[in-house]
Amino acid sequence: MKSGPLFFIALLGVLTVSWASFALGPDMQLRTLAPYYDATFDSTFPQSPSGLAARGRAVYLELGCASCHTQQVRRSGFGSDHERGWGERQSWARDYIFQDPVQLGSLRHGPDVATVGDRIESEAELHEMLYSGSEGMPAYAYLYEPAPPAAQANPLAVDQVAGREIIPSRRAEALVAYLLNLKAPAAYAPEVANNAVEEGEAH
Amino acid sequence: MSTPSDSRDPGRPLSDEELVHLHDNPPAEADDRGHYRMLPLLLLFVFSGLILFSGTYVGHYSGSFSPIVHDARAHAVTGEIEAGPVDLAVLGGTLYTANCATCHLPTGLGLPGAIPPLANSDWVSGSPERLIRVVLNGLQGPVVVNGTTFPGAAAMPAFGSTGTNLSDDRIAAILTYVRQAWGNASDPVSPEQVAAVRADVGARADAWTAAELQPFE
Amino acid sequence: MSSDSHMAAADTDTTARGPLSLLLASSLAWLVVAVSLGLVHAIQRHTPSFLETIPAFTYGRTQAMYETALIFGWAANAAYAVALWILARLGGGHWRGLGLMTGGTLFWNAGVTIGIFCIGWGEGTMLRFLQMPAYVHPLLLVSGAAISTPAILAWTGRRTSGTYVAQWYAIGALFLFPWFYSASQVMLLADPVSGVSRAIIGAWHAQNVLSLWLAPIALAAAYYLLPRLTGKPVPHYGFAGLGFWVLIVVGSWTGGRHLVGGPVPAWIPATGIAAAVLLLFHFMLVWMNLSPALRAGTTDPLRFVRAGIVAYLAGGVLDALVSLEGAAARLQFTHFQTGLQQLFVQGAFGLLVLGAIYDLVPRLTGRAWPSPRQIRGHYVLALTGTALSVAGLLIAGWIQGGALLHADASFAAIAASTRPWLYLASAGELTFLLGAMVASVHLARLLLGLCRLSAAGQSTATTVTAS
Repeated sequence: MKSGPLFFIALLGVLTVSWASFALGPDMQLRTLAPYYDATFDSTFPQSPSGLAARGRAVYLELGCASCHTQQVRRSGFGSDHERGWGERQSWARDYIFQDPVQLGSLRHGPDVATVGDRIESEAELHEMLYSGSEGMPAYAYLYEPAPPAAQANPLAVDQVAGREIIPSRRAEALVAYLLNLKAPAAYAPEVANNAVEEGEAH
Repeated sequence: MSTPSDSRDPGRPLSDEELVHLHDNPPAEADDRGHYRMLPLLLLFVFSGLILFSGTYVGHYSGSFSPIVHDARAHAVTGEIEAGPVDLAVLGGTLYTANCATCHLPTGLGLPGAIPPLANSDWVSGSPERLIRVVLNGLQGPVVVNGTTFPGAAAMPAFGSTGTNLSDDRIAAILTYVRQAWGNASDPVSPEQVAAVRADVGARADAWTAAELQPFE
Repeated sequence: MSSDSHMAAADTDTTARGPLSLLLASSLAWLVVAVSLGLVHAIQRHTPSFLETIPAFTYGRTQAMYETALIFGWAANAAYAVALWILARLGGGHWRGLGLMTGGTLFWNAGVTIGIFCIGWGEGTMLRFLQMPAYVHPLLLVSGAAISTPAILAWTGRRTSGTYVAQWYAIGALFLFPWFYSASQVMLLADPVSGVSRAIIGAWHAQNVLSLWLAPIALAAAYYLLPRLTGKPVPHYGFAGLGFWVLIVVGSWTGGRHLVGGPVPAWIPATGIAAAVLLLFHFMLVWMNLSPALRAGTTDPLRFVRAGIVAYLAGGVLDALVSLEGAAARLQFTHFQTGLQQLFVQGAFGLLVLGAIYDLVPRLTGRAWPSPRQIRGHYVLALTGTALSVAGLLIAGWIQGGALLHADASFAAIAASTRPWLYLASAGELTFLLGAMVASVHLARLLLGLCRLSAAGQSTATTVTAS
């Protein structure tokens, strides 16, 4: 094989094809995705979270939650996502256009959290889970300040664990607000039509 | 050049220079056996098989290379996608909360003595023509709802073109919602009905009074 | 031939001794650091409460620090060292630009250290193989160019006629790395794309690190060591070039397979899976050429090569098989993927490059390794450690995947059922760490002995003939 300049031109050409196909191409395709206007709700979807929930995404990122939790629901039939109640439909790219950065995750040592806001009853439930951990999940006690029991309940405390009130830090509050804001997404007519599969369509 | 291994101590590793030229001549023994010549054919066969599999796989499961096909089994739909029909009751609920609930309350109970209720109201279950006119131009003066008199100290504002300027679709949605919520069970109101009433009313600046609406009961 | 005298002169050229020893010492030091972090991470998998009170060792951050130290610390330093050695030696043995390399090494390692501390601080990006914050990477790009300089000059200034496949793999990796690394930096960090494009390009980047940077270096080492140490040519050298191009062309397309079933356009995982199957052709060609390694186990570097090639081929075939949708439904988000990655990075790349290091250090320094038993000890520990860790993860992943498919299996139950296998994986990680420490101590002994000799003014110019 000749090892002159043509070799390197070929290498660069190969890499450029790969880049154009799998980096530039997808970006250009997905840039066209805009929020979908649903006349029934007179609103566009997805909706960009604001305030504390938006700040909570940064906390989710810096704690590295995506190393155990995914935020993508797979279609029913491909895994048990649907049976576990993690989502009614497969997650679509349009659901994520306002999520910067997306945290799709690649490992499931804990449940998927794409619609966790629909499954959690209250803030206190999440705070307790974060503070105490569970089988398989570490405790994030450093996000909280336990206070000694006092005559009057501290208005900032969210829960009582082992007789002590726990007061969440701003990071914990933001994270919980973010998680509670993760709810089932709307249906977009183009995706519904383009992802329709006939009954009995074999793999 | 003879193979370097011939004239060297077999236990010694090759020098780098020998390594670069080690493969300059292909080994002689390979040509003696016929099967060496079959190797390129075998590789071609395997490569073709893999390309066939990969190509078929991409053809089946790539969803027409569309950005919005996420299910590998689906294919892109060509042509216009029709958005589904608007669910008027659901839309009406949202619009009611935005426009009406401040006075009539989310429960539709209104304020006794000031704002008439919508729940189980005879006005709501009554004729759509009267109801649409109320929404289009507002209501002033005393009214009797469910037998109770409301003095009308606070007039109801207009939501038609002289006021908030809701479209026919939206007024129809709100009225559909109201006529089917809180125990009301009346027919929905269509945007065509609203349009007809609007055309009938024409340009009217003032709010209706109960007396003016009597012919439309 | 004139190149003979150049080679002979090169054998006495000691200018590379210091800079390359620095690179090698850094790589082994990083290996110890990385595998220590890997041990913490492995323990946290089965005992989440381990170090949970220290924010810097939050599970996600530990994983990111481990991965960064392993790839940008150990793997990068070792890759540059081995690539330089192969290119310089096969190119005629001329060393130039070594000062730039030394400077580059220092800045690269400083950058990675800062990056890892920043990850511990919470500035990580959660992008696979790009975990360090955005501000570190331009420094690494420039430092990497500096470190590559002697290798590139060795290639462009080569005095031999014709080139060997190991040189193509080595120079190919050094050439491609800055290109895709800078593209990833721009599209993921400097001017980030939004939405799921980030995940797609992140997968492209991660695959490039494995297929276009680490795998070519590992194969360069394998192709360099096997014929050189056994004295026999590779059986079908005519196809070695084809194997090279199939890896470069197809390898980079396989990244999308990890996104199967995800919120990305369906064609991305489809092409990734199709490419992973097509890549089997590359593994077939590598098998054809390097299978003699399985029968050659006479010296320790050859043992490393044998184990590395087995790991490389097994990993490649397994990877293609579990990318297919049927298996992916079960194994997609499990420890199985972690195990596969470790099989390649620690098994294939790690063992092959360690073999190359054990081969090149005596020839670089002019001193034999002080203790062949330590080499054998490292080999046993590295092989056992990798085997235990990978096996533990693959089995744990298989169990985890099976349980995930059943909606009624709770995550607590999954944690309990996978725990024994995760203990095995931790044991493997510990074993590998012990091996890495043995190797580091051994290299330190050799280099210190070298320093003492040169301080005493003794000549160390004699070449070593036995390896």
